[in-house]
Amino acid sequence: MPGKHVPQDAAAAGQLCRRCRTSEASLVVRTEPLCRDCFIRYVSTKAVKRMESFRVRHSTPDQTRKLLLPMSFGVSSVTLLHILDYQLKNQTAKTGRTGFQLLVVHIDTSAVEKNAPDPSFMSKLQARFKDHSYATVPLKDVFETPSSYSNDQNIEVDPTPTSDQLSTFLATLPSATALADVLSTLRTRLLVAYARQHGCEAILWGDSTTRLAEKTLSETAKGRGFALPWSIADGQTPAGIPSNYPLRDLLKKELTSHANFVNPPLTEVVYAPEPTGPVSTSSKTTTIDDLMKAYFESVEENYPSIVANVVRTATKLDAAKFEEGDERCSLCGMPVPDGKFGIHGWGGDQHDVQGVSPGEQTEALCYGCTRSVPKGTTLPS
Amino acid sequence: MAPSPCAVCQTNRALILRPKNHQKLCKPCFISVFEAEIHHTITTNNLFHRGERIAIGASGGKDSTVLASVLKTLNERYDYGVELILLSIDEGIKGYRDDSLETVKRNAKQYDMPLTILGYDELYGWTMDQVVEQVGKKGNCTYCGVFRRQALDRGAAKLGVRHVVTGHNADDVAETVLMNLLRGDLPRLSRTTSIVTSTPSIVPSSPETTSHTNIKRSKPLKYAYEKEIVLYAHHKNLDYFSTECLYSPEAFRGSARALIKNLERVRPSAILDVVRSGEDMAKLVPGGNESCGNGCGGHATIVEEEEGGCGSSNGRTSGGEMASMEKQLTQTEVAAEEGLEVEITTAGTKPPNPPDSDAIPLVSGKKGKKLKGPPHGARKQPAKQTMGQCARCGYLSSQEICKACVLLEGLNKNRPKNSIEVSYDNPEESAPTVNSHEIKCTIVTQISEVEKTKGLIYNS
Repeated sequence: MPGKHVPQDAAAAGQLCRRCRTSEASLVVRTEPLCRDCFIRYVSTKAVKRMESFRVRHSTPDQTRKLLLPMSFGVSSVTLLHILDYQLKNQTAKTGRTGFQLLVVHIDTSAVEKNAPDPSFMSKLQARFKDHSYATVPLKDVFETPSSYSNDQNIEVDPTPTSDQLSTFLATLPSATALADVLSTLRTRLLVAYARQHGCEAILWGDSTTRLAEKTLSETAKGRGFALPWSIADGQTPAGIPSNYPLRDLLKKELTSHANFVNPPLTEVVYAPEPTGPVSTSSKTTTIDDLMKAYFESVEENYPSIVANVVRTATKLDAAKFEEGDERCSLCGMPVPDGKFGIHGWGGDQHDVQGVSPGEQTEALCYGCTRSVPKGTTLPS
Repeated sequence: MAPSPCAVCQTNRALILRPKNHQKLCKPCFISVFEAEIHHTITTNNLFHRGERIAIGASGGKDSTVLASVLKTLNERYDYGVELILLSIDEGIKGYRDDSLETVKRNAKQYDMPLTILGYDELYGWTMDQVVEQVGKKGNCTYCGVFRRQALDRGAAKLGVRHVVTGHNADDVAETVLMNLLRGDLPRLSRTTSIVTSTPSIVPSSPETTSHTNIKRSKPLKYAYEKEIVLYAHHKNLDYFSTECLYSPEAFRGSARALIKNLERVRPSAILDVVRSGEDMAKLVPGGNESCGNGCGGHATIVEEEEGGCGSSNGRTSGGEMASMEKQLTQTEVAAEEGLEVEITTAGTKPPNPPDSDAIPLVSGKKGKKLKGPPHGARKQPAKQTMGQCARCGYLSSQEICKACVLLEGLNKNRPKNSIEVSYDNPEESAPTVNSHEIKCTIVTQISEVEKTKGLIYNS
């Protein structure tokens, strides 16, 4: 596009695009110099390839398949919406109908989180990507929605408004890591409940390769290794709604470049909080997620294939076997093998030496959730 | 602010903030809690049985010194009825082992335990200093780790001991979990998280000696934090040698180590949590403990035997290892995209080493593996790895030739010419042929001995 300002990667300067061999390359993607158009095609092909099972030919005209797209207004989820919007337009142009419908859902955490994006981003998206359903759900609804996989069936009616309950509960959490962990657990839980309520067939997460690698290590560090396959792999989850990660083959930096390259740039509708500077390891506000994010941002810079390899490797783990009747964590809803709740009763726990009996745990929480929610804390029901 | 009382005895003043859970404890309570936890680990895992002779892999460092001290204490207190001996390996790193071996010798007296010291030169014909001279500082930890693993087993076999305990602590295990995720090695992730690694199924090859392939390994300090080990050593006034290996760690291990330290700062329980995750994930590794070796399925394995590096160093990173893996992965990606790999594997290439052949050529790197492996596109499950014995030295190996012998061959190939001249000097030795694999390892020792003799002749 002559005369138009296109962000230029210094490494690509003066080279010809390896794919079309006509335009000048705008950036280098995994050793391959590409021009703007070929790069955009590269990104969307990688994502659309992952949407194979949702093609038009797999749907019937009288029954449209509904898919839920969680929207954080970050570059990844906005990019996913952009690509799928384009794919749906193509499907309509070619066949007169679409293979699926999108339900874009934002979980509003602004009541409990300082840096939460303004829900008004939703209207900007809606204006740009029409033809989809949009919804904003406040996080407190997580305790109003009858959770389909919660253990406690005898929910008492509490006169306190749930938003107060939620903030009180979150305020008791011992650390920034615990808060971030619980918030993301609650967000996922609410999205799943919403998807079920609205008859969605699957959830399309916007996680990039880089994000999945971060998740792999941070879930491991939070003692959630047992549930790792359910948070990074495509397919069925214990929550009963399959997960899909269409952007799993794209790096975070590629998504960022892509957002600048498309016309008009996606950056207009992306929520980008002020960068908080280098991650400090001593700060009380630093979380395990922050550490892993900073780590993989640096690895991605020089070793993109290693990032991809972490994800590919972790995705090879088999998901644990579970049955409908298995006991589950009352916070994250993951099956807990043999009902071994809490942090006791394994080789690394010596509490019985100190006279604390494993039965003291008041809530039936899994290992990872127990680390974040201290003993004696009552979950809002 | 009033001094807080100890959280356990409630009487003494608390002087120690437990690194593991930030509990405030007095000194005697910390010591007893620390010992009780190790005892707990030993008993719940049935690590020992009465009458067993156990070799403690002793380096003179804090971990093995604390291990020796705690095991002696517990053995007497709880009457395990085990016999403890010290086994040290001298890697031949000048300035590193000299002092630490002196410490081990003192420990042997202090704990009244017999001590055996075995050198890499005795076992392999190479000291680590010589290895570094040959291969450079990058990647030398691989040699050291592979050699050491076998060295302890060989030493134990020599002493007629079937159980070796090592000082691996929770930090080491957590570090290994992250490292193996980073370099994409699930089989090793699963192996290194288990507290006992043993291979009782392998029958000794020669009846007259104890084979070194069926030595049991265990890590009684697996759940103990490094910081608490240091505290214990400090408060018990233990005599240990504190130094770090002079050679820098591999990038993956250094990277993982730095991550673990940062995680611990953000959440003290994180080390234990990584260990827990590692144990849980080990159960999810497809095909149990075994999987395909290096290069298949696009994820790369760097070293064959367990615990590649030594893990005793800080987070300095060289990056060389990461860069080379990055390169390898990129090539695999390109090949996969262009469909090159399938063409190679379906080309009907004869395996490079048919089973009837006497010669066992080295299969080093991924190229050889690829040729043997099933076509990439068709592979769903990782190929089942069968454990066998090294054709050269008899050590347990998934390959025909164990990693140590592969590394040794690489080293010996580049040895100065005079070692080849040795066979000319001694025609009665009937020129060690490449075919006599069983004696290959001993030949190396012989050659170096002959070299020594030669050196004497030249000197005189």
